[in-house]
Amino acid sequence: MTLLTSTLTHPPDPRVLPAVLKLVLLRIRISYNSFRHARLRTKLRMIFVWGFLLGFAYFILSASRWVLGLLQSPKFVQYVSIDLHSILASIPALTLTALFVMTLLTSFGLLLQAMYLAGDMDFLLATPVPIRAVFIAKLLQAVLPNFALFSLFGIPILFGLGISNGYNVSYYLSAILLMIFLALAAAGISSLLVMLVVRVLPPRRAAEILGFVGAMSGLLCSQLGNFANSLGGDVNISGTRLAGILLLSNVRWLPLNWAGQGLVALGESHWLAGGLLLAGTAAFASVVFLFAVVTAERWYYTGWARMQVVARKKVARPSRTERADNGIGPQLIRLLPKPVFAIVQKDFLTLRRDLRSLSQLVSPVIFGAIYTLYLLRGNGGPPAGRGDAPDWFIESFRLLRTYGNIGMSLFVGWMLLSRLAGMGFSHEGKNYWMLKAAPVRISHLLASKFIVAYAPTLGLGLVFLSIISIVQRLPFPVFAYGLLAVAMCLAGMTGILLSFGVAGANFTWEDPRRMNAGGMGCLGQIVSMLYLPISFGLFVAPLGFASFLDYPISYGYWIGLILGSMVTTACTIVPLWLVRKRVEHLGLG
Amino acid sequence: MPESLIETRDLVKRYGDKVAVENVSFDVYGGEVFGFLGPNGAGKTTTIKMIVGLLLPTSGTVKVAGYDVQRQPMLAKASSGYVPDTPNLYAKLTGRELLRFVGDLYDLDRLQASRRIDELLRMFELVNAADDTVDSYSHGMQQKASLAAALMHDPRVLVLDEPTVGLDPKSARLIKDILRQLADRGAAVMLSTHILEIAERMCDRIGIINKGNLIAVGTMDELRASDKTGQTSLEDIFLDLTGGAEEMEIAGFLR
Repeated sequence: MTLLTSTLTHPPDPRVLPAVLKLVLLRIRISYNSFRHARLRTKLRMIFVWGFLLGFAYFILSASRWVLGLLQSPKFVQYVSIDLHSILASIPALTLTALFVMTLLTSFGLLLQAMYLAGDMDFLLATPVPIRAVFIAKLLQAVLPNFALFSLFGIPILFGLGISNGYNVSYYLSAILLMIFLALAAAGISSLLVMLVVRVLPPRRAAEILGFVGAMSGLLCSQLGNFANSLGGDVNISGTRLAGILLLSNVRWLPLNWAGQGLVALGESHWLAGGLLLAGTAAFASVVFLFAVVTAERWYYTGWARMQVVARKKVARPSRTERADNGIGPQLIRLLPKPVFAIVQKDFLTLRRDLRSLSQLVSPVIFGAIYTLYLLRGNGGPPAGRGDAPDWFIESFRLLRTYGNIGMSLFVGWMLLSRLAGMGFSHEGKNYWMLKAAPVRISHLLASKFIVAYAPTLGLGLVFLSIISIVQRLPFPVFAYGLLAVAMCLAGMTGILLSFGVAGANFTWEDPRRMNAGGMGCLGQIVSMLYLPISFGLFVAPLGFASFLDYPISYGYWIGLILGSMVTTACTIVPLWLVRKRVEHLGLG
Repeated sequence: MPESLIETRDLVKRYGDKVAVENVSFDVYGGEVFGFLGPNGAGKTTTIKMIVGLLLPTSGTVKVAGYDVQRQPMLAKASSGYVPDTPNLYAKLTGRELLRFVGDLYDLDRLQASRRIDELLRMFELVNAADDTVDSYSHGMQQKASLAAALMHDPRVLVLDEPTVGLDPKSARLIKDILRQLADRGAAVMLSTHILEIAERMCDRIGIINKGNLIAVGTMDELRASDKTGQTSLEDIFLDLTGGAEEMEIAGFLR
């Protein structure tokens, strides 16, 4: 009785830092427990990854020392006309700027997850812990892992420079302190952005949009970069331009450059200049961070409170006539058994409405579109001149070129099928009980998942093939044969990937981008990747042989059709037949 | 004698060395509401999942509407409806689309399904939210949507795992009325609950499971008669049977 009374009447500690410490220690405890209770294989993998990263950091340190030493050697300096000292002195500024920008970009998603989508907010806000402490703890929780990762690359570079330039010890200490300050400032700005976004958009929707935009911009940047390179424009960075970029980092008025310049000044024992620049950086970072913390007091709570009032997402209800005609089409409604149609329609709706799933599906389309641009640029015409090559070689080369491009549509299809078929069952997630509890036949379930994966892939393949046919001015028989080959190969690939998807089905994911949890998915991709050239080769190789042996090309078509159809049909049916029992037991404890 | 629509015989479920359910046998008859009670971790959800075909029993048999759940799963599932404890529904479907989807899974006639959807949406007061995606529903609305989905095909057997959790009093009352009506029309309703008052008021018979063993089955009068300590309320009988009386004493001390 006494014990209870004394505990309850004790006022809660209003101080922020002890509360932050408690929350951070709790997070460390959770991480430690996760490691301790993980399977041995997972533990070994984690140890290996960290060992590898540390080894890599040591490699960067050694490489930095060696390269920087080489750049400063008198023999090297006499061969180059640019001011190497300025370039070397700009390395700290560039490294710290990179750290700041990377933290700013990567912490947005992490902060959104940690601050608004983590399940512990109800619990934390119900306890007498200051909201400011919750905010700081969440901020650290989101930033620390990435900070550790960036440090593994940033610290060796900065230390390598310090060692090769013989900087004094204050350089090393200041470098670490500055990295912490700048990472906190970046996280502070990122958190302000998150809190602003949450005032406009529901956090879950913001996370979906972020995932979509992130995936799309990454893919577009990489593919458009390749495309730009292929245009043959002058995109190479010359030594002079590189030097220009490096010298830009010495601009005095950029606050991020103060840190780098201050570090160099301190390392070279220019105490006053170095001290002032570093103090300026620290002050700038502190002001940003403190502003975020003070603002968080109000914004964070109101943002979180807004989440409790869920805004409904109204989906425009189609009119009665539209409803009769929409979806997969009235013809399919009549053809497909109702459960199959229901699952197909449901999958298409859920894939389309979840931006995170959609981003996985758009990637192959972008890849296909960019490859089509390549083709359009090259006009798809045969190479000029035949030299002394024999007729059969020229003919085989022409076939290879034509069908090689058709084969590309298979590769685009493979990318799409990896998601749609390979994760066809995993896509159900925690909702799988609805299918399991309903009287749905295994054959219907497999058929619906097959259609969901195969139909859009075939559609994409058809579009791609049509463009190739127009660009390369392919005769209709070649187009028709190519279409048949692509359709059959894609069917086989769907069968293979869907079967591996059954074997490795994962129904426990929260984020659709993480539904491929096991090794089965990877194995399926490898097997289907091996299947792709073999199956398509069976359709195409007989054409080359017919040409080589001087037989009519129709012989090649018939043999290719028979061989290819046999193998692809077997690959469509046999893997699914093998896993049918497994489907029956999916989701059963 | 009413027809037995849920029949479990010597049902066992083991996870490695741990026995979750041990030799559980009971019947639920058409026209009755059967309450399935037990402390946390007693084996209620495991038993229910075996009945609806979501878990394979280690041994023993389950029959639903006369069909063996393992041997004739299609027929058994077509006769039953299930409401899980956590309403995991397709988040990106609207309420109406969800019900349409379920109607198609059960192969209902589309016109009949449309009428049924409108009826259920009206009954559960989800008409205004019918074209909103499920992820924007509150927990209570999701629970109601889950129950509506289970009722789409007008099942002969309805199995519910904690159906009233997260519901407001009005919705809870609505669900109780619906379940009673279903039973009155000859369906077998089995529900697990922690709210003993609900069980006492609306269940015709009650089964109590503890540590995987079914320790009592019967009407309220039969349970009272079998209790050696002469307890009269379900709460007292439950605590007496499951060993919760000691905890009650501790709670009394703290008061």
